[in-house]
Order: sequence, then structure tokens, then C-alpha cells
Amino acid sequence: MTMLNSNGFVLTTVDELLSWGRRNALWPLTIGLACCAIEMMHAAASRFDLDRLGVIFRASPRQADLLIVAGTVVNKVAPMLKLLWEQMPDPKWCITMGGCASAGGPFPTYSTLQGMDRIIPVDVYIPGCPPHPQGLLYGILQLQKKIKEKGVKKYDKAFEEFKKDIERQGLVPREVTV
Amino acid sequence: MPWMNRAVADRVKFDFKDMEVEFTKHTTNLHVKQEKLIDLLTHLREKEGYKLFIDHTCIDFPEERERFQGVYILYNPDTNERVIVKTWSKGGSLPSVEKLWACARWAEREAYDMFGVQYRGHENLRRMFMWEGYPYFPLRKDFPLGGIPEVELPSLTELYAGRTEPPSHDYELVHTRVPTLEDLERTEKSRLQKKAQLVLNWGPLHPGTHGTIWFLFDLDGERVVQSDVILGQLHRGMEKIAENIYYFQFLPYTDRMDYISAICNELSYVTAVEKLLGVEVPEKARYIRTMFAELQRINSHLLWLGTGALDLGALTVFLYAFREREKIMDIIEGNAGFRLTSAFLRIGGVHYDLAEGTLDVVKAFVKDFPNRLKEYHNLLTRNRIWLRRTKDAGVISREDVFNYGLTGPVARGSGVPYDIRKLESYAAYEEVEFDVPVGEVGDVYDRYLVRMEEMVQSLRIIEQCVSKLESLPKSAPYVNKEHPAVMSPKEDVFMDLEDMVKNFRIVVHGESAPKGEVYSSGENPRGELGFYIYSVGGSKPYRLRIRSGALYNLSIFPKLIQNGTIADAIALLGSLDPVVGETDR
Repeated sequence: MTMLNSNGFVLTTVDELLSWGRRNALWPLTIGLACCAIEMMHAAASRFDLDRLGVIFRASPRQADLLIVAGTVVNKVAPMLKLLWEQMPDPKWCITMGGCASAGGPFPTYSTLQGMDRIIPVDVYIPGCPPHPQGLLYGILQLQKKIKEKGVKKYDKAFEEFKKDIERQGLVPREVTV
Repeated sequence: MPWMNRAVADRVKFDFKDMEVEFTKHTTNLHVKQEKLIDLLTHLREKEGYKLFIDHTCIDFPEERERFQGVYILYNPDTNERVIVKTWSKGGSLPSVEKLWACARWAEREAYDMFGVQYRGHENLRRMFMWEGYPYFPLRKDFPLGGIPEVELPSLTELYAGRTEPPSHDYELVHTRVPTLEDLERTEKSRLQKKAQLVLNWGPLHPGTHGTIWFLFDLDGERVVQSDVILGQLHRGMEKIAENIYYFQFLPYTDRMDYISAICNELSYVTAVEKLLGVEVPEKARYIRTMFAELQRINSHLLWLGTGALDLGALTVFLYAFREREKIMDIIEGNAGFRLTSAFLRIGGVHYDLAEGTLDVVKAFVKDFPNRLKEYHNLLTRNRIWLRRTKDAGVISREDVFNYGLTGPVARGSGVPYDIRKLESYAAYEEVEFDVPVGEVGDVYDRYLVRMEEMVQSLRIIEQCVSKLESLPKSAPYVNKEHPAVMSPKEDVFMDLEDMVKNFRIVVHGESAPKGEVYSSGENPRGELGFYIYSVGGSKPYRLRIRSGALYNLSIFPKLIQNGTIADAIALLGSLDPVVGETDR
């Protein structure tokens, strides 16, 4: 963005304006899975105060554009999380918080999903078990940077490709009649 | 805690001639034939007063003729004695005891899920943690820890970047089975037959459910006709992990069970293992443990208070409670180096000596906290909305406490003074003074008051620990490094060859535990957290069963909410305060 003169005119591209708006109003979905959720709550509470970054938790996936996967994702919960991800409107981003969500963490077991990126594409991985709230803040700042650099258009294109990919693999949930 | 004594055992033996009584070092076991099991349990419950159902689980012995052994742990609140009843399955099945204790329904479901043991007479024997249609029984000895990889699940991050050969990062392409939405729908339908107007799903991904519990309500208008709870959305296979790693390696996993009260979990676990290994703990370590466990208890109750009030619409309490939580977390971080899952305790002591200035910070906290408590009381205790939401909601009777195996603040809210810290003292609880608050009515409001008072008592304990720790010399040992199974503290390992070799040996080969079994529990903020360790020697437990207080406390939920309203469900769940990491393990 470039300030032209002191008369209050700003010259920018629509893309840049949109990405500026989007990266400064990331609304995550209120979902906690395990230990990391507690640190996520701490990040949202008074000391670390995520609100000042424009990060405001929303209770409905329809209003959210960021999914913070905070905690261990087990196989049983994976399809539900994916359903929620699909209910979120585009453009949307995903942060995996902690080792479990990123890669299975300390649970290489029969019931644990070995990394969230097996079912939905991930933008930022935050290591830690659980990460500090500062870690989550840093992750969100990194995501903002990523949105700034990549722009939104490019991102959407990549997402289309991902959608085609999962359709090809037959991973799209079908309607159930019982 | 004492176990069933000889006199009682002889009396029971008189009625059950073919029963075998076994006195082990840490337990009393009654071995009974399967046909007599129900009779014996009824006798123990009705005649001998073993009213409280602690736990039921199975142990898998693939070499034995009848493969599975059922283990029942009972408690007598009058004489303060425990007993273990054991029986062999017949053709892979056991009789169900849900008619005797209602909470056994869940324990049996879990044993069926994990071992495939059939229960004759169970009302609805379904998968507890895994989904309907899952073909394996994970806790059987022939099932691998990592499961059986069968579906190809590539990393989408890699797909995005264009798949490469070899893969862009190190991971296994083939993954264990992941259910489909149809599977989950089948799981849901198998649990509840619709009787009334509509079945409402609450959770599993809902902020009000304190994690990932999945509730089903069959509703007639706003009235709940019947309900059920589906667990397993955080089942990580803790017990299976424990069988595959050394005793000391499991300690950090206990943190991640009830992640809100990590140090209390560790304390319960190390107490059990120390009993098994016969480790004495130095005085200083005992006081440090007690102090941190109580700090953690306050921490945990604050989270309960904050989120419980938030669920009922009081946002202020959440922000206030988290302000104090940060202070406690700072104290823990300063000593353990970690805020939440701290892994601070060690078998035989604690990891580090107290950090410089810890006691001053704790003293400042103890001085400041009563004023903060007053603030919470001002916000809630006489608040009209709070009273109307919590008074006379979800009343638990004393009989139900025993019938459902309730422990912790939930039992005490109903007037049962069941507190392991008093009954089976561990760490330094014997040497400090504190009271056990109990409720009268047993409703949500009483449980709220009990927890609030528990925080005051915790403060009292912390104060006494601080003054004791101040009087101890700085050079006092904080870990019993003389014992062959205890790792030496870090500073010795770097300076002393002998200690280094010893640590090396333990890290590589593990502690060698004697044969035997032990059940030991600790008073957690969420009830009794027990560890039943069955050891056949060696450095790994043959079976490690975790008795979760939160699971049993939650088991009364469907009964309490029956004929209640949806609004009550939220207040009620907040007062039961389950943590999914512990209920699902």
C-alpha cells in the first residue's frame, strides 16, 4: 500500500486490500481437542489477549476462516473435523497447534491420526507439547505473513486443486440415508 | 489404605468354600469361579459393606486356557478397606454386574471394546471408545501398539507442493483405519433408540462439552427423555502405550491424561510405581510434591470455575480465573520449565530442586489469593442467576455415589467424605493439617461450594509446606538416588561417573520391577485417579490400568439429566467437570 499524499488518498490493488483485511481479521473456530486447547484458551484470555490481533473466536464454522487444530486428533474425530473444515467458507486457513496435530506427537498408536495434514491442508505448523501461548501468537503472525506474501487468489487456486484431489481419491463424504 | 484383613477374608471364605484368598504384598485378592462371581460380589456389597465400586478391567493372558481374567476392585467406606476380586472368563465371556453397580456398565463396555470380552446380561454392549465396525480389540497382547496400517493417507501438504519420490518429509504413507461419517452415524444410532420427538447431538466439537464428549439427547420439547454419552473422541491408547515403554517413560504421558492437573496425575502415578519398586522418598521431595500438587489443584479448580461460569454466561469469572491461573503457571514453569504438562516429578523424588525465590513467590500468591477468592464469591455465590441455574439442579444422593463409583468433589458434594489424601495418605498429606469440605444436598451449587472451599484448604496446605520447606536445609536431598531404580539428578549425572553409568543403565534397560501387583490412587481434582499395575517382572508393566475419576463421575450424567432440561445439562456437566483426556485415555 502506498500513501500518495497527505490528502488522505491511498493507492493500492484490490488484491492487496483484501489480503490486508483478511489477515487482520482471522476468526478461528472455537474448537478444543486436548491439552493444547488449554493453552489456546490462555492465549485468548487476558494476559496474551488474541483479540488485539483481530483474532476473535467464533462458535460457528460458517463465520470462521481459521481452524486452529489444538490437541490430539484421533481417527474417530478426524472425519468430524474434516466436515467442519468443509463447512467453513473460502478463503480459509489451518494452523496445527502442537506435536499431536502436526504429526501424531508422542502418540504413535492405533487410534491416533498421524498428522492433521493427512485430511486437510495445513498452513502453519506450531511445534511444542503444548506450545506456549507465545508460540501460538507467533504462529498466527506467521500465517498473517503468509497471507500477505501469497495473496488470496493464489491460495484459492491451490485449494481448488486440493478439492479435485480429494474427489479423485473418493474421500468426499456422501449423504447417508438411514 | 489397608486391604481386606484376614478376619473378614475368613468370614467370606466360610460362605464361599471354593474361593481362594491370596494376600500379596500390596493387595488382597479373592479368586473365585465365574459361576460364583455375582454371588460373591452381592455378598461383599450387602453383607460386608464393600459398597463403592472402584474399577473393573481385564487382563489378557494369551497363553492361559481361558484367556481373559476379570479384575474387580471394591472399597468399603466403613472400615476403609479395599479388595480385589478376580475371575477367569469362560469362552471369552463374563457375567455383567451392571445390576449391582450401575457404573459397571461403562467399565464393561470398555473391557469389551479393548479386549473383546462378552458380558452376559449387559443392556447394550457396544464399543466404548472405538466406533461401531472397528474390527480389532486393541489391548489384546497380539495387537501392535501402532495398529495395523491399511489405508493410504498421503500428507496433503506434500500433495500441494507436488508429490515427490522420495517424499518431501519423513512419514509413513499407509495409515491405520479412519472411520467414515457413515461409521459414526452407525455408532450414534446403535446407542440410542429414539422414543420421543427428536434426537439432539451435543458435541463432540462444542465448546460447552469441555473437550470432545458426544452427548445424545432424546427430547420431548425441552425435556430430556433419555440420553447417552459417546466417548472416545480423544482415545489415544494410553494403557497400550504403558505396556510398551518403561515405567519412567510413562510419566510424561500421565501429564497428558488430565492435562489440567498434570502434577496431581504424576503424583498418583509415581506413588503407585514407588510402592511397586519399594522406593522411599526424601522428606524435602515429599513436601515439594505436596506443595505443587496443591498449587495444581487450585489451578485446576480455577479452570473449572472459569469455564463452568462461562458456560452459564458469566464471562468475567473466566477472565478473572485465568489471571490467577497465569500466576500459578508461572510458578510451575519457573520450577519445571513447562507450564502445562510439566513432568516435574520423578520416581523417587522431583526433577529439580526448588528454584531460587520460589517460596517467596508462593508466599506472595498465598497472601494474595484469598482476596481473589472473595472476588469470585462476590461475583457468583449470592448471584441470583447463578443460584437459579445451580440450586436443586442435578441432585446426587448418597446411594448413587456408591452405586456409580463417584469420587472427588462430586462425592463430597453429596456428603460422602471420601478423600484419598486422608484415607490413604501419600506424599506429605499425613503431616499437614487440612479439612475435607462436604456438601449437604448434593446439587450443582453444593459441588460449587465444595470446590471453592477446597481451594481454601489447598492454600492452608501450601502455607504449611512453605514453612516446612523454609526450615529444611538447602542441601537436603530432593531425590532418593541411593535406590537402584531411581535416576540421579542432572547435576550429578554430569559430574559423577557412577551416577552417569547408573542413569545410562536405567534409560537403556529400564527399572527392573519385581513381580506383583499394586493398586494405588491419589486424590485428583477430578476424583480418584488410580493406577492398577500388574507386573510380571521386567522393566515394563504387563498391564497398567488407569482408574479415571472423571469417567466414573461422568457415568451418572445420563441418569441425572433424565427429565431435566437442556439448559440443566450445561450446568450439570460443568459441575461434574470431566476432562476428556482422562475419561478416554
